Amino acid sequence: MDDLLADFLTETSESLAELDVALVKLERAPDDSETLSLIFRLVHTIKGTCGFLGLPRLERVAHAAENVLGRVRDKVLPVTPDLVSTVLAALDRIKDIVAGLAATETEPAGDDATLIAALDAVAEGRAAGAAAAGIVAQPPEAAPEPAAEAAVAGQTIRVGVDVLEDLMTLVSELVLTRNQLLQLARSQENASFAVPLQRLSHITSDLQEGVMKTRMQPIGNAWNKLPRLVRDLARDLDKRIELVMLGAETELDRQVLELIKDPLTHMVRNSGDHGLEAPAERHAAGKPETGHISLNAFHEGGHIIIEIADDGRGLPVDRIRAKVVAKGLATEAELAGMSDMQIQRFIFRPGFSTAAAVTAVSGRGVGMDVVKTNIERIGGTIDLKSVPGHGTTFTIKIPLTLAIVSALIVEAGGERFAIPQISVVELVRAGGARQGQGDGAEPMIERIDGTPVLRLRDRLLPLVNLNDLLQLGGGTESAQDGSVHIVVAQVGASTLGIIVDRVFDTEEIVVKPVAPILRHITMFSGNTILGDGSVIMILDPNGIARATGIAGGSEARTAEAREAGRDAAGMATASHTAMLLFRAGGAEPRAVPLGLVARLEDIPQERIEFSAGQPVTQYRGRLMPLVPMAGALDMDKSRQSVLVFTDVDRALGRDRCMGLVVDEIVDVVEDQLRIELTGDRAGLLGTAVIAGNATDVIDIGYWLTQAFRDWFRGNERGGPLQGARLLVVEDSDFFRQLLVPALSAAGYDVTAVGDAAQALRLRDAGVMFDAVVSDIEMPDMGGLAFVADLRAGGGWAQLPVVALTGHAGAARIAAGREAGFTDYVQKFERDALLASLRQCLAARSDARLAA
Amino acid sequence: MTARSARLCLVVDDSRVVRKVARRILEAHGFAVEEAEDGRAALDACRRRLPGCVLLDWNMPVMNGIEFLKALRQEFGPDRPPVLFCTTENDISFIEQAIESGAQEYIMKPFDADILVGKFAQVGLL
Repeated sequence: MDDLLADFLTETSESLAELDVALVKLERAPDDSETLSLIFRLVHTIKGTCGFLGLPRLERVAHAAENVLGRVRDKVLPVTPDLVSTVLAALDRIKDIVAGLAATETEPAGDDATLIAALDAVAEGRAAGAAAAGIVAQPPEAAPEPAAEAAVAGQTIRVGVDVLEDLMTLVSELVLTRNQLLQLARSQENASFAVPLQRLSHITSDLQEGVMKTRMQPIGNAWNKLPRLVRDLARDLDKRIELVMLGAETELDRQVLELIKDPLTHMVRNSGDHGLEAPAERHAAGKPETGHISLNAFHEGGHIIIEIADDGRGLPVDRIRAKVVAKGLATEAELAGMSDMQIQRFIFRPGFSTAAAVTAVSGRGVGMDVVKTNIERIGGTIDLKSVPGHGTTFTIKIPLTLAIVSALIVEAGGERFAIPQISVVELVRAGGARQGQGDGAEPMIERIDGTPVLRLRDRLLPLVNLNDLLQLGGGTESAQDGSVHIVVAQVGASTLGIIVDRVFDTEEIVVKPVAPILRHITMFSGNTILGDGSVIMILDPNGIARATGIAGGSEARTAEAREAGRDAAGMATASHTAMLLFRAGGAEPRAVPLGLVARLEDIPQERIEFSAGQPVTQYRGRLMPLVPMAGALDMDKSRQSVLVFTDVDRALGRDRCMGLVVDEIVDVVEDQLRIELTGDRAGLLGTAVIAGNATDVIDIGYWLTQAFRDWFRGNERGGPLQGARLLVVEDSDFFRQLLVPALSAAGYDVTAVGDAAQALRLRDAGVMFDAVVSDIEMPDMGGLAFVADLRAGGGWAQLPVVALTGHAGAARIAAGREAGFTDYVQKFERDALLASLRQCLAARSDARLAA
Repeated sequence: MTARSARLCLVVDDSRVVRKVARRILEAHGFAVEEAEDGRAALDACRRRLPGCVLLDWNMPVMNGIEFLKALRQEFGPDRPPVLFCTTENDISFIEQAIESGAQEYIMKPFDADILVGKFAQVGLL
C-alpha cells in the first residue's frame, strides 16, 4: 500500500472516532463552540486531504458535510437532532468508503446522491428530515471495520502493533531465560557471575515493565463508539438516555482491551434496550425521564474493575423465573430455594434472553452467556446486582495483562501445574476423612452423596481431586499423615477446592496458548515454561468446575449441598456458636464469633508501617489498617497476631479489610452462648461463660468503625431505603446487640424486642414498621408460629418478614416460606441480611407504586 | 539571533498526509523541508531556525494559521519569510484576512506539483 494512503487511512480513522464522540457531545451542548470548531476542523481536514489522493466520492461527501457544519459555525443553522443525524450518516458513509479503501486501495463504487441531497437540504435550512430521506437507515455494519482504526491515537511516535507484539514475545523469552539462569546459579558455587546475573535480572524486569507499558492503552479507546451507539439507540427506541463515562483514562493491555470491546458494547446496548424504561414508564414510576447508563473503570490491585450501571427497572425476577422454567433450565422446586440474586444470575446461562421480541438492537443471538464466557476466557469475572425499580449494575474484573501472570505452582500425580493467582482465594490443609472429629486444628473432608466437601469456616466447599480428574494415577486424596493440600479457587460467584499433592511457590509465568490439538480440553487455559526449563500446563478453574459439574451455573445445587451438609452434620445450631478465643491487653480470654473472622494472620513486625499515625500493612495487594485491641502495638514482638475482617461485595466494587491486632490466639470452641450484658465498656458486648471460663465477648461493630468510620454506612450506597423502620424480634441478647447497631448504622430505624409476644403487642397497638427481622428458634412462640400469626391478618399481614436462623436446610426453608417468611438469612451473615432487606423493601415500594 | 536558511521551507498543516505531499514536491525541487502540525509548533520552529519560506494551512488546533501569521510578522518583521497561505473553496473569506495579516500568496487545496511550483515561482522562490 502506498504509504501516503496508509497515513491517510490512519489519520482519517482517528478523526472519525473523535468525530463520533464530539458530535454526540455537541448535540447535548449545542453552544459549545470549542466542540463545534473541533468538529469543523476534523471534517475540513478529511475533505482537504482526500483531494490530494484523488478520492472524489469521499471528497464530495465530506464537502457536503463540511458545508452543513460551516453554517452551524456561522450560526446560520441551529444544532438539531436531525442535523446531527444527517452529519452522522455522512460520517458513516465516509467510514464505509474508508473501509473499502483499506481493503482494496481504491474507492468502492457507490451512489451518494441521496445523502448529499439530504446534506444540502439541511445546509440550506430545508430540514426535510434526514430520517425521512432514508439515509440514516443505511446499515453501516455491512462494511468491515477499518483496519487502521485500532491504531494508537494521539501519540508522538507510531509503531506498528506487530512490532510491539514481537517485542513482547522476545521479552517473554528473555524472562524465561533469566529464570532458567537464576535457577542454574542457585546450584552453582561460583559466585563470580552472581552480581552481573542479579543486574541482568533487574534489567529484564525493568524491560518487561517498559514493554508492557507500550502496550497499555486507555480504556476510553474501547468506549469511543459508545456515545454514538447510545445516541442512536435512544433515537431508535424513543428513549432518553444519558451515558456517563468515568475513568476513561484507566490503562490496560491492548490485547485485553480488544477482547472486552465487544462484551462492553453488548452490555451497554442491553442496558439501554432492556434495562432502561421508556420516558412515560419512568415518569409514571416517579423517576426522571432521562435514564442513565454509567461506565466506571478503575484499577484495583493488578486488576481493572469496570462497572456498567443503569438506573432502569432492574432485572425482573418473575420473568426470569418463568423463562427459566419454560426453558427447562431449572424446576420450580429448585427455584423456590433460591434467592432473587441467584435467579437473576440465570441471565448468564447459555440460550437465555429475556426480551419478549427480538428487537433490532438487542437479541442478536448472543446473550450474556457469551459476554460471561468471553470475560472468563481472559481470566476475568462478572457479577451483577439488581434492585427492582432502581437499576442494575454489572461489575467486571479483569487482569491488566494476559501475557505475564502470577501463578501458583502445584503438583499432582508427579506433574506440576500452574493456577493463575487471580483465581486463588486461599490455601488450606485439611485432615482426611479417617481422622477423628474434634481435633479442631484442621478442617475435615466429608462426603455428601459421594462428593467430597470441606467444612471450611461454616461453609461447605465442594472439592475436586486433580489426580482423579486428570487420571494421573497418583496418590489418593490424603497423604501419609492424613492431611491434604487444597487450593481454594474462585469460580464465578462460588468457590471450589482443588486437592493437590504439593504446593510450591508463586511464579511470574509467561502464558503461551494451548496447542490446537489440546484446545478442546477446557481445563487448561495455556501452558508455560518454568525456570528449570520444564513445560507445564496452566489450569483453568472455570474449566475444571465445568468438567466436574460442580459449578458453572449450578450454584443452586452447590448451595443446596451446602445446606444439606449442614443439616446432616447438625452443626451451627442456634444454641451452639463457634467462638474464637484470644487474649488482648490482659490475661483474661476474649471471644469473637468465628463466623465473623475472615482469616487469622501472623504478620512480621517489619511489614507493619505507619500511615497518618495508624499502623497499616500491605495485605494481598492493598493497605490494611491495623487496630491494636490493647490500645497500642507492642513493638517488641517480632510478629503480631491479627484477626482479619473483610467486607467484600464484588457487585458494589467494595472490597476492604481490617486487622484487629491481639496478643495471642488461644483456641476455637463451640459452646452455648449466654451473654451477661454489661454494656458500659466500649468495644465489649458483655461476658459469657465459654469453655468453663468467664470470657469477654467483643463488639466487633465497635472495632470495625475504629478502622473505618463508614464501615457500615458504605453498605447503603445508592440505598434509597434509608430511614425504613425495622422491627427485630430476637430472644438472644447477644444477637440483638450484634444486629441493632449494624442495622442502625446502615441507616435503618430499628426497634428490638425479645420475644414474639412483645412484637404482637406492638402490632395490636397499631405501631407500623416497614419490615420485620425475626429469629426462628425462640422460646414460647417460635418464629414460624409468629409469622403465621402475622399473615393471618392485622396491620402487618403484608409486611416483609426476614427469618434469621442458625441452620437453613432446604426443608426448613420450604416450611418457612409456607408459613409466610419472605426470605431466609443465616445468622452472622450481616451482608446477606442487609441485601435481603434492601430487596424486600425495594420490592415493596415497587408494589406500592404499581398499586 | 535566529539563523535563516533560504532553501528551507516550513510546512504547517495538521494533516500528516498534506505535509507529506508538500514535502515530496518541495524536496523534488531542491528545498529542505521542516514540518509543524499547528501554529504553536510552527512558531517554535521559526524561533529555532527561521525558514526561507512557509507553506501555511489555516485551520489547525492550538494556534490557527492567521494567529500564527500575525505572531510571525510581529516577531520577525513584515516581509520575511514569505508565507504562502493554503485554503479551500469553502473558506475564501480567509484569503483576504491572510493577505492583510502578511501572507504573500495563497494556494487552493488540493494542490499538485505544477500549482505549488507555479506559486513558488510567482513569489520569487524558484
